[in-house]
This record gives sequence, C-alpha cells and structure tokens, in this order.
Amino acid sequence: MGYALQQLINGLSLGAMYGLIAIGYTMVYGIIGMINFAHGEIYMIGAFLSVLTYVLCTALGVGPTPLVLLAMLFASITFTALYGWAVERIAYRPLRGAPRLAPLISAIGMSIFLQNYVQLTQGARIKSVPPLWQGGVTLWSADDFRVTFGWAQLTVVLVTLIVMAGFAWMITRTAFGRQQRACEQDPKMAALLGIDVDRTISLTFIIGAALAAVAGVMTVLQYGVIDFSIGFIAGIKAFTAAVLGGIGSVPGAMLGGLLIGFVEAFWSAYLSPEYKDVATFSILVLVLLFRPTGLLGKPDVEKV
Amino acid sequence: MTPLRTLALAAGLAAPLLAHADWLVGVAGPFTGQYASAGDQIKKGAEAAAADINAKGGVLGQKIKLEYGDDACDPKQAVAVANALVNKKVQFVHGHWCSSSTIPASDIYNDADILMATVSTNPQVTERGLKNIFRIMGRDDQQGSVIGQWIASKFKDKKVAVLDDKSAYGKGLADEIAKAMKAAGKEPVLRESITAGEKDYSGIVTRLKNAGVDVLAYGGYHTEVALLLRQADQVGLPLVVVGGDTMTNSELVTAAGKLADRVYFTFTPDPRKNPQAAPIVERFRAAKIEPEGYVLYAYAALQLFEQAVTQAGGVERAKLEPVLRKGKFDTAIGTLEFDEKGDLKKPAFAIYKWTGGRYDYAE
Amino acid sequence: MTAAALPAPSPLALRLRDALVITVLGGLLALPFIGLVTVEEGGALAVRTRWGAWAMTLVAIFLGRLAFRAALDAWRSRKPSHKSAAFSSTDAVLRRAAGTSLLAVALLLPIFFADNRYVIDTATTLGIYVMLGWGLNVVVGLAGLLDLGYVAFYAVGAYTYALLSTQFGWSFWAALPVAGALAALFGILLGYPVLRLRGDYLAIVTLGFGEIIRIVLLNWTSFSGGPNGIGNIPRPSFFGLPFARSAEGRTFHEFFGLEFSPMHRFIFLYYLIVALALLTHALVSRLRVLPTGRAWEALREDEIACKALGLNTTTVKLSAFATGAMLAGFAGVFFAARQGFISPESFTFSESATILAIVVLGGMGSQLGVVLAAAVLVVLPEVGRQFADYRMLVFGAAMVTIMAVKPTGLLARREPTVRLNPSRSSAP
Repeated sequence: MGYALQQLINGLSLGAMYGLIAIGYTMVYGIIGMINFAHGEIYMIGAFLSVLTYVLCTALGVGPTPLVLLAMLFASITFTALYGWAVERIAYRPLRGAPRLAPLISAIGMSIFLQNYVQLTQGARIKSVPPLWQGGVTLWSADDFRVTFGWAQLTVVLVTLIVMAGFAWMITRTAFGRQQRACEQDPKMAALLGIDVDRTISLTFIIGAALAAVAGVMTVLQYGVIDFSIGFIAGIKAFTAAVLGGIGSVPGAMLGGLLIGFVEAFWSAYLSPEYKDVATFSILVLVLLFRPTGLLGKPDVEKV
Repeated sequence: MTPLRTLALAAGLAAPLLAHADWLVGVAGPFTGQYASAGDQIKKGAEAAAADINAKGGVLGQKIKLEYGDDACDPKQAVAVANALVNKKVQFVHGHWCSSSTIPASDIYNDADILMATVSTNPQVTERGLKNIFRIMGRDDQQGSVIGQWIASKFKDKKVAVLDDKSAYGKGLADEIAKAMKAAGKEPVLRESITAGEKDYSGIVTRLKNAGVDVLAYGGYHTEVALLLRQADQVGLPLVVVGGDTMTNSELVTAAGKLADRVYFTFTPDPRKNPQAAPIVERFRAAKIEPEGYVLYAYAALQLFEQAVTQAGGVERAKLEPVLRKGKFDTAIGTLEFDEKGDLKKPAFAIYKWTGGRYDYAE
Repeated sequence: MTAAALPAPSPLALRLRDALVITVLGGLLALPFIGLVTVEEGGALAVRTRWGAWAMTLVAIFLGRLAFRAALDAWRSRKPSHKSAAFSSTDAVLRRAAGTSLLAVALLLPIFFADNRYVIDTATTLGIYVMLGWGLNVVVGLAGLLDLGYVAFYAVGAYTYALLSTQFGWSFWAALPVAGALAALFGILLGYPVLRLRGDYLAIVTLGFGEIIRIVLLNWTSFSGGPNGIGNIPRPSFFGLPFARSAEGRTFHEFFGLEFSPMHRFIFLYYLIVALALLTHALVSRLRVLPTGRAWEALREDEIACKALGLNTTTVKLSAFATGAMLAGFAGVFFAARQGFISPESFTFSESATILAIVVLGGMGSQLGVVLAAAVLVVLPEVGRQFADYRMLVFGAAMVTIMAVKPTGLLARREPTVRLNPSRSSAP
C-alpha cells in the first residue's frame, strides 16, 4: 500500500513534467497543424538556462532557495520564450502555406541544429547543480517503509498546478486566449475578423516555450543533472502524451502527461522496467484504436 | 553530377595532405554526441603522446601525425570513419571507444592490414578471430567477475541488486557480475534494466527501497549512477553503488556531489600511481589536464605504437603483428603483453572508491 | 521589420536599422550560450564569460543580415515574374536527361575511384538511402500516409538476414526474398489495426511501433543478441565465389586470375546496391502507372472521394504500406550484409527521421528528387568531417534552409502519374 502510494507520487511529479512539455506540442499543433519536433530542444534550452541562472545566483550570493528558484524561473522563461519565438520566425514562418510535411522536416533540422549549438557552446559534459531541497514530507509510515513526498517533487507538482491554472485562465478569459482559440478553429475567418494571425501564432510559440522552460527548471530542481541530449527523450514522451490526450486539446495534454507518468512509474514498480516504453506506446495504440482522436480530442469532422 | 563531385572533393581534400615522411596514426572515438566527454579524454592523451614522441625525434626518425575520426558511438558512422581513415592511409589506429563501433570498424582495418589498439571492453571485440586487434584494457567478463566476487565477499550479508542500462557494455558487465555473484553463492535480489538517457529513475529507486537493497551493482555509465544516487537519497535510501571503469569520469562527482563517496568501481591499477607514468602525469597536470579515465590509455596506445614500430623496423603488418603479439611494452599504464586473441595477458583490476572528489584504492 | 513597407527612409538606412534590430535579438539569444559558459571548477560549476566570442557573433549577425537582405532584394528584383508553375514537357525531358546521366555516373563511379574505398563506401551508403527513400516515397509521397517508424521494417529485413545466415547458413540471395516478404507481412500486421487513424495520429503510432520493435530487439537477448547485436554476418558472394584472401573453395580473385584486393568486395557491394536500387526504381515506376499506384495517388489527394468512387481504402493503404515495408526489408538485408554487424543502435528514430527528410527534401513523389536529397543528406555530413565539430550544426541548418528556400522539396512533383488526356501526360 505504502509502496503503491510512493509510486503514485513518483508518477504524479513525472507526469506533471511531461504534461507541461506536452502543452507546447498540443498548442502548436492546434494552431498550425504541425508537429514541432524542435520543442524537446526548447525544453533542453530551458533546463540549461536554469542551470546557468543557478550558478550565477550562487556566484553572486543570492540568498534563500525560493528566491533562487524564482530567479531561475524568470530567466529561463524569458530567454527560452525568446528562443521559441526565434525558432518560429526562422524555421516555420517562411513555410506558412507550404505542404504539410515541410515544416516537420524544418523542425527536425532545427532540432539537430539546436542540440549541436548547445553542445558546441556549452560543451558535451553533463551539467549539474546540487539538490536545492533535501528531504520532504512523510505521508505514511508503516512497517519500516516511509512514503515521502520530496520537497522537490512537491514543488514540481505545486508549480505545475499554479502554471496550469494561470494558463487555463489565459486561454479561457483573456483576449489573447480568445484570439488563440479563434485562430485554431479557422485562421482565415479569424484574419477576416481582424485578428493578427501571425502575431497569435508567435505568441503561441512563446507561451509553449515558456511552459517548456518551466519544465526545464523543474527538471533541474528535481533531478539536478542535465546534458545537451535530454530534449530528445522528453520530447518524444511529451509528444506521445499530447497525442494520447488528443492533440490540440490542452487539458488532454495534461491528462496524457499524467497518464504516461503513472504508467511509467507503475510499470517499473511491478513489472520489468526495460519494457516500460513498450507499455507506454501500446497504451497509446490501444487508446487510439478505440478513440481515434485521443482521450479528449475533438472528433474530426470531414467536410467534403 | 553533384554527388560525384562532392565525393571527389571529399576524397581529394584528404589525399594531398599526406606527407609521406610522417607516420599517420588514426584516433577514432566519440568526439561528438552523448559520450563526447570520453572522446575528449582520448584526444588529450593522444595529442600529448604524439607531442612527446615527436619531441624526442619521432619513431624511426619520422614524426607521428594524428588523424581524428568521429564516430559518435554510432556503428554506421564508425564504418564510414574506418573507411575514411583507411583511405587516408593511416598506419595504425587507436580506437574505437564504444564496443559497438569497434566491432564493425575492426573488420575494415583488418581487411586493410592495419593494426589497432582499443580500449573497448566487450568480449566480442577479440572473440571474432581477427588478428589485428590489441586490447590494452581488461574485458567486461574479467572485470565483471572481479566485481562479482568482491561484492560476494565484502557485502556478504547485505542485499544486492544488479541493474544495467541495456547498452552492450552495461549489460555485458552486469551479466558477468550477476554470474560471478551467483558462483560465489550470493544471489542478487533484483536483476533489471533501465533506459539510459532518461532522467527519472524514481520508479526503480523506490523499488530498490521496497526490496531493502543496500548495494547496487551497476553496468553502465556514470550519468545514470549520479541520477540513481540522488534519487535514492531523496527517498532516504543510503545506496552503495559498485560499477565498472566508466565510473572514473569526474563528471560523476560533479553530478552526484557528496553521494559520489558511495561509489566503488573497478579499473586497471591506477596508471597515475605507476612510477613509470609519474613524469607523464606531472606534465599533464602542469598543462592543467587531469590524466583521468582514458587519457593515459590513449597515451599508452601511442607508446605501444612507438615501441613496437621501433622493434619491428616498420609498420607493415607482417613485421609489426608478431612483435606486438610476442613483445613486452612498458607504457604509462604498465607493462603490456598480449595473448593469441589480442587480449592482455595479465589484466589486473583493482577496486577503487571515490572520496572527496578523488578516487583511490578501496580498502 | 514591418517598416519595410514604408517608403520614406532610404533603403540603406532601412537595411541598417533592420540589421541592427536583428543583431539586438540575436545578441540576446546568444548571450546565455555564447557570451556565458558554465565550466566545472573544483567539482562544482562556475560561470565564465566569453565577451570576445559574443562580440564576434554580434558582428557576424549584423554583417550576415546585411548581406542576406541585399542578396534577397537583388534576387527579388531580378525575378519579377516566376516561371509558370505548370509542368512543361521540357522539364520532363530535362528530368529524363538528368536521370540518365546520374545513372551513367553511378555505373562509372568505381572506374574512376577504383582504389578509393572511402568514395565507394560512401556511395554505397548513399545507395542504401536512395533505396529506403524510394521505398518510403511509396508510403508518404504517393499514398500520403505519414510514417515515422519506417526504420522498423528496415530492422526486420536486417535481422532476418542476420539470423537466417548466422543460425541456419542461408545465403544472401536466398534470404533476400524471405526478408522482403517478412517485412511486408510486418507492414500489413502493423498497418491493419491503425490505418483508420488519420494523418498525425498515424504518424505517432508508426513512431511507437518503430520504438517497440527496437526495444524488443534490445531486450530479447536470446533471440536478437540484445545490445550486443549480431556479428560475423556473412558477406554476399559473387555467385558462390567469396571475396577473401583465401577460402575453402575458390575465391573471386583466384577464379578471375586477379591479385587479391579488398576493393573487389567494395566495388561488388556497390554494384549490388545500384542493381537493387534500379530494381526498386523499376518496380515503383511500374506500380505508379498500374491501378494500384493510381489508387495511391488518388488516396493522397482525397480519401473521401476515393471511398465515394468505391475504392477499398484499407486495401489501398495496406498495399502501399506493404510495398514500402518490403523495399525497406530488402535494404535492411543489404545493410546487414555490408556492415557484417548489426545492433539496435542502427535502427533508432533518428534513422526514420533521416529517411523521411530525404523524401520530403527531395520533393514528395519525385524519384529523382529522392536521389538528390539522399546525396545531400549522406554526402554533406561526410564532407563535413573536415569541419569536425561543426558538421551536424551545419547539417541541421542546411535542412532548415533548404525547406525555407524550396518548401516543396528540391524537385517538387505532385502531378498525377497518369492523366485522362494523354497529350498532357508526363513520363514518370
């Protein structure tokens, strides 16, 4: 019982992180219908920036941990968002209206470029920071197995919740959110109604990158060890999460992320961890077989 | 037209650079990609050795020139690199680093009658009947059995789990550890694999905690060990890790901090403690390079080349191969002697422990 | 940047301002990665500054942007009207001529580079990718199904040959059709349940299948050798004559009275892949004019219309999947035979991505385009070995640039292979 609870907590914090990255995929897909393969690298850049900020903070003697965390979030979000914006301007905007697969290949190229850019400029060695918070809350203690919710894990879940709440508010209540949803449904009509579609797309990339940056900071906070190649696996997992939840659906991305987090945690808990990814993909296939547009995806209406 | 011309250009660029008065030695390894830090060490060692040998007047009056080949630990690129090196007419190769690169590449060197000194530890490297490979490091099976026996005797009444990272190196090592442990009457409580390159191992760590594991024998690379240690610490599991030669990387200490003091590993007897290597180590440290990991191995590979070529009077395979197979060579990593397969005759392994950012023999 | 629409300031001032804006943005982007670097110092990270490199980056961005704008403006003013988009018959003649000359170059290559194994070997790799590209072209370019797990079938082919030859002593030629058939069967098995998915859902599921096959190969050690892979795979022989210095029977060089040279095998392998690729080409070109191929193209253009016309879309999709898979299986057999050693590392997602990039960069549906794109993607990183560390950086940038300049691919072609009106029909 305690064991299962602990694995549930592990899955929750992992899934929260996947969910944050998955939103970037799902938003971009929703608005321009492309799989942004460079999004994993954006997350990696976010993680690198937060390590850099952390090291700068310690060098400057910036005090308590929460302050450092805020600085990391601020710097990482600012610069990562800038990268997200630049990637869209350089690699995707020239391809607006091009065949469907052109931006996909451009994205793969961008992902190779960014990964090598970071490797060349920051080196191939792993970057790490010491644990920011040790210990955690003990939730359960029975027959010498203590269930702990680590402070880092708790922070990850809390920050994700706050960010998600803010994000949901923005999408449903603000002018930008309305514009974003309008462009998603029908960019031409939105343009006719006076919405600057290009600007909305740019903002979508910026917000997606900002969420990936939050995930990057959370990675550094919880695991503390990163390198230039972390974007790939995280990107694939998050993309899977986005599709599982129904690509284009923001709550779906979060749900998909959590689901994959739980599957991974419980599969490595009770079965053989080496087939963990097989399990993840099999669940994806099964879900898609019965719900071809994912868990929360809108069914495709085909117009002839 | 385009592919032909570019190909010709690629080949043409390489050919005229060949000055015939130099020995051309290929150095192949992962200079980019996930394992680039090992490639870095190889580069530093080989460069220093070539400089030192050339400063003494070279080999048989000719200077050594290094030719690098980056395989990024990808077997397909390793084949391309091997062909490129053969085409540049290299006369000897140090490399590759990953066993899965060394295996396909060695066929190509063998065809071209080029001898090679490698640090790849997978048994398959020398088990395929090729006569051009000389392995200047012990094998995974030897290393694994040393670790397994040591665990069985040192951690007699502790619970031991064996994990690997599904790489050819890691799995080979972990299998041998488990085998040696069982032979010594110590049954692992858990035998699983994890996926390298991920960040979250909390699932498996919690499982270790639940099984009451005290000691983890791990086949794989240092990054995952650092992550496992940190995550074990988070759930309050004081895990001790025993691993192979990849744990020599100082990145482990940067990543795991104080927790690195819980890592034991096997490595060939510390070349830095070898009196023969002392001046070399001094020079490296003077140049602000810590001669850790594969630095001195790359250095030794070139020393091996120097001594063997001097004795043989040339690099032709017919002359050089018997010399390497019969001779004894004093290098920075000790005296090297090879058996029929090309493995070291006396591969010694010692158990080390990290303490405060330095590794030293474990008691 | 929007200021470009205003007529007022002089072009030079405009360009300088534009370059300045870009430099400021680029400088901000470069600041944390080029201007600052984290290095290990005494077991912990410390930050170092590299203002010199950063300043140089700024200058490079500024000058680069100026040059880029100037070039762009010159190019735009030089070409007031784009040539007609229609597919003209001279184009077809040109393509045919280009195809013939490429074939001639391919056939003559070993004569010019008889002792350059690097060129021959790179050309062989190119051949494998051309074949894979043509295979995937059937699925993506013709039938319009996005497949991100194509490497799975390549792996099936490679492992089939590796296992049949090392375990049961099958020869290359005997294993080739079996591996192709097995790969096709896998294509049908994997394709059947998922083909009702649309577009990108299909893409992620194929990606998943590719990963599943790789993970199974990695973990099922008793079957596939796990991460150790399979070694000592026999090389193909020349009608029973092995390429070896000495063998039990007669060897190739003994039979022909030549002096032994390892180059013989390289050249033989090269011609083998050229032959296999030509066969692939013949097959695909033939299929394109047959009802099956026309159904693929129709499916790509409009699935609903296909259904309305009574086409069984499942069969059409499955036939495209199976054909593509079979060709990948053939390529896999050749790959295993050439490498002599295979392991799951050779069948990762990035391999699928490369093959897909070849198809899309080449211009979907264009056979000649695939050859060109494969040449770019295979030869570029090899030429790039001269630039060592910057090779993959340039590679990624080149992919983005090519797509930005030619979004439809190097040789775009979305024309139906067969038209109702024969006077406007074009050669494949």
